[in-house]
Amino acid sequence: MIAAQDQATVRTTERASKPTPVAPERTIRRTVRDDGICLLTFDRPGSSANVFDLRTLAELAEELDFLERQPQLRGLVLTSAKRSIFIAGADLKAMQQGASLDQVRELIGYGQAVMNRIAALPFPTVAAIHGAALGGGYEICLACDWRVASLDRATKIGLPETQIGLLPAWGGSTRLPRLIGLPKALDMILAGKTLAAKPALKLGLVDELAPVEYLVEAAVKKIQRGKPHRPSHWLFNNKLAAAFIARRARKQVLHKTRGNYPAVLEALEVVTRGVSQPTLVSLTLERDGILKLVQGEACHNLIRVFFLQERAKKLTLPAVARGADPKPISRTAVIGAGVMGAGIAQWLSARGLPVILRDLNAEQVGKGMASIARLYQDGAKRHLFTPVEARDGLDRVSPAPTEVPLTHLDLVIEAAVETLDLKKKIFARLGELAGEETILATNTSALSVSEIAAATRRPERVVGLHFFNPVHRMQLVEIVAAPQTAPDVLARALRFTQQIGKLPVVVKDSPGFLVNRILMPYLIEAGNLFECGAGIVDLDETMLDFGMPMGPLRLLDEVGLDVALHVAETLAAKFGDRLKIPESLVAMTKAGLLGRKSGAGFYVHGKSKEAQPHPLVSKFVRGQSMRALSRLELQERMTLLMVNEAARCLEEQIISEPADVDFAMIMGTGFAPFRGGPLRYADSLGAAKVVAAMEFLVDNGATHFAPCALLKSLAANGKGFYHGKGG
Amino acid sequence: MSAERLVIVDGVRTPFCKAGTDLAALGADELGRIAVNALLTRTGLDPQLVDEVIFGCVAQPMDAANVARVIALRAGIPQSVPAVTVQRNCASGCEAVTQAQEKLQAGRGSVFIVGGAESMSNIPLLFKPTAVEKFSALNRAKTFGRRLGAMTAFRPADFSPRVGLLLGLTDPVCGLNMGETAELLTREHAVTREQQDAFALQSHQRAVAAREKLAEEICPVFLTNNGGHAVTQDNGPRENQSPEALAKLRTVFDRNHGAVTAGNASQVTDGAVALLVMGERRAAELGFKPLGALIGYAYAGCDPSRMGLGPLFAIARAAARTGLIPADADVIEINEAFAAQILAVLRCAPSEKFARQFLHRDEPLGEIPADKLNVNGGAIALGHPVGASGARLVLTALKELHRRKKRRALVSLCVGGGQGAALWLERM
Repeated sequence: MIAAQDQATVRTTERASKPTPVAPERTIRRTVRDDGICLLTFDRPGSSANVFDLRTLAELAEELDFLERQPQLRGLVLTSAKRSIFIAGADLKAMQQGASLDQVRELIGYGQAVMNRIAALPFPTVAAIHGAALGGGYEICLACDWRVASLDRATKIGLPETQIGLLPAWGGSTRLPRLIGLPKALDMILAGKTLAAKPALKLGLVDELAPVEYLVEAAVKKIQRGKPHRPSHWLFNNKLAAAFIARRARKQVLHKTRGNYPAVLEALEVVTRGVSQPTLVSLTLERDGILKLVQGEACHNLIRVFFLQERAKKLTLPAVARGADPKPISRTAVIGAGVMGAGIAQWLSARGLPVILRDLNAEQVGKGMASIARLYQDGAKRHLFTPVEARDGLDRVSPAPTEVPLTHLDLVIEAAVETLDLKKKIFARLGELAGEETILATNTSALSVSEIAAATRRPERVVGLHFFNPVHRMQLVEIVAAPQTAPDVLARALRFTQQIGKLPVVVKDSPGFLVNRILMPYLIEAGNLFECGAGIVDLDETMLDFGMPMGPLRLLDEVGLDVALHVAETLAAKFGDRLKIPESLVAMTKAGLLGRKSGAGFYVHGKSKEAQPHPLVSKFVRGQSMRALSRLELQERMTLLMVNEAARCLEEQIISEPADVDFAMIMGTGFAPFRGGPLRYADSLGAAKVVAAMEFLVDNGATHFAPCALLKSLAANGKGFYHGKGG
Repeated sequence: MSAERLVIVDGVRTPFCKAGTDLAALGADELGRIAVNALLTRTGLDPQLVDEVIFGCVAQPMDAANVARVIALRAGIPQSVPAVTVQRNCASGCEAVTQAQEKLQAGRGSVFIVGGAESMSNIPLLFKPTAVEKFSALNRAKTFGRRLGAMTAFRPADFSPRVGLLLGLTDPVCGLNMGETAELLTREHAVTREQQDAFALQSHQRAVAAREKLAEEICPVFLTNNGGHAVTQDNGPRENQSPEALAKLRTVFDRNHGAVTAGNASQVTDGAVALLVMGERRAAELGFKPLGALIGYAYAGCDPSRMGLGPLFAIARAAARTGLIPADADVIEINEAFAAQILAVLRCAPSEKFARQFLHRDEPLGEIPADKLNVNGGAIALGHPVGASGARLVLTALKELHRRKKRRALVSLCVGGGQGAALWLERM
């Protein structure tokens, strides 16, 4: 029932001056055609999206009052007047923390009642879907007799509720398994999948596809066929099969989520129990299930992350919000054709931007071009691009093994090797080659942007744009504002990040910026624990249990031990007192155990999928002091360091709000989203408990656990990061 | 209308690679795209400024009709910019340049991307007409019985293909293969096998010696499906080509009495060239420093069975328009279709008899000095991707003018079907 809530609301202020109040514009438009077919068109005023809130539901209920009194009607077609959205789902604000349980119960009950009334209409009903029909937006389609969809890119269909900690409770969990059978329905609901038009047709989510221009006519033809007769799916949709499927699915879900995502389990329960019950009983199960979920922490955190994503997409800088909208970026170059450079160039070209890919010689450029081609091939295999789109994307990348003019470019992103001297040299030259307006960005992950900027003639045009590896998967970009960065450059960099579909967070220029700075003490601690006897599997498993997408040692392998070591050294130069680089890490790097790229690190990375812990790295273990620690103790040590560093970032105003820290860590590292980020996690434990745990470790000789001043003061005053201000 | 000169701002080409080798997997559209893309990247030209794209291509890919348009769109030229493919056989690359000149003169634009692209590796094999008939009968057959009947009509011989490349190299009017026209010149002008081989050897030696110079015109081609391997060099020139090796080769077109071999004829090659050309004033406005200007040109027809003499007819016609004769050139590029053909041209140029009989001139064209001719090798060593060669000669000649700091260059080609092309260029 979920999805994007468009912030635009009807402006009533303008009308306030008029003498007589005008009724607010309606969302639903009704047309009854000469042939007796009624069209209900959803067109939320002043917005580009349709969403279900209480008012829209009330309007729909009024329309149903009318429809139920018109038995002579021949049929009903539901459509949307929006360009890319049918109905994006329920208004999530109603589900946020703060909404009372009664309010949620009312919303669910009201929604279910309206859907039931649609399902009970005596004449054929058709949903004519063009654009996103997600959550509640698809549940209303499920209440119709027929579904036709437009063959358009904008058309996306699914029930993504479990992704934000909920379950489909306006009949989705009940009607989908009855429509397409239990196994397929479970697949859709548990993964919260969203499908394009063609796969949606294949799975049976819709009955027919038509060009958008003929969509209503296609719907009318369905009405002429009357009410449909559909298969009963008796083979799967019975108590016995459902119980069997539930048991197996539960095992899989637990294996995958480690029990961290209650919504998936709850949805599984509701769907498999409801499928063999009468519809009304199943609907009750849906309602009880969602009421249970909205009381949980995970659901709140996931919804919050959803809103933070929406906020990042629309983020503007206060200084610029008043001025003109920054010009979009249209011509770009990437300096450096390594993993990051190629990844960035591929992402930009896939987003329609021409990119010059520059490196020192044809060999380097060639390697970059090959990895870009590979990313496109993989994307085409996973149906992210058609073969033609993949070819066009690759065509937009212009290889440049020699120096070429850059004066006409809007943006140059440097992604060379992380050496300050080299970067300074590059920026000195970029200052000569680039145009007056060209933004010069560095993708450095830890070096000082101001120092790099100082090397050019135009330091005010320099900004940090820190992409994360792999670029095509990681949504976050840290925008690093150096003190000398001009406000218009910063604003345009922010606009650019949104333009290319990444999520921005604006941070101050400081070693490691935000994400790497918080992540590094955690990785270093994992290395230290390993060096002192903790097992590789224990360290990684316990963090997977915590909800990280990958264990720390495995992550080091993926990043490359040499790269991680380099970042760690940069950070240690400033925070050496609390960041001690484990000697084992240095020794392993020297021995060529760099991780995936060298074939082995903490793990052996074979051609076969699963990496195995490397049997020979035990020789790098230097002590046994941590051997006896339980997995939970290991987890505590590693997470506390992230919490502490996150608090320091807030303390030093690297960013201004706790929500930014949490958002960046979730989007940049995959930090357990259901925990809401390191600071939210600390709040859930309580600052006092966090500080106590850290001081206990300090007392036992681990001085790098010393809690920062902010944490201590929160603990002393009984406050949290999020509710610290008001007390 | 003021006569604004067309200037060649810059140019770049892919390496020229023997058909079936490094670039075999890339179609003419891909080769052309790579060249245009490299041209835009190295000049920094805003593609919005382009008025038209004109590309020469002799054997257009079946899957990229109007290959110039495909090249333009794939290279990031805006959709609103028109594109046209031109075909004057071996002079197609020249035709692209001179059409830009004509459009400029006619006031139909001032910024053009021109060039030529040819993938001779990808010229298709064709079914014989008898087989085509049987295929269409099969296609028409509706019932199972008829389909079976149509299928059994095929004979093994139906599947032996006609080679598109050979068809293209055969003159449909005089019936001679291009090599046979070269044999005709060999006989009529008494050009010996030894002379032809010596000329071929010199072409290889010059091309090998000029590797570094030629590299200035070349943009690497990255084989993204092959680990990003960069193809950076022409692979036609042989470092160790020898008179003995050339002498050993069998004659191809006249087994018993002929002299033309694969060694003294141009190579069958893949490659593309892109040139940025503009009106002289427009180039100045945009702040470009052009390589040179096109100051005159002519195309002329001649006997198709002696198409190799085409350059003489074209140079004579250009002389009538510009007053320039080979002696006025500091650099001369005449396409080496066949050593026999170019040697025949060299013999006839100073001949008064030839001038009077065929060129309607009292004066002969005069000697073509060997020290100015194809100084960096020619198509015998570098290869002859037919649609692209004309544009390559323009680029190579202009670059050489700059190296020698000289004034004028003459570029000429013989053209299958009995034509010649001649272009006069001036360094800027």
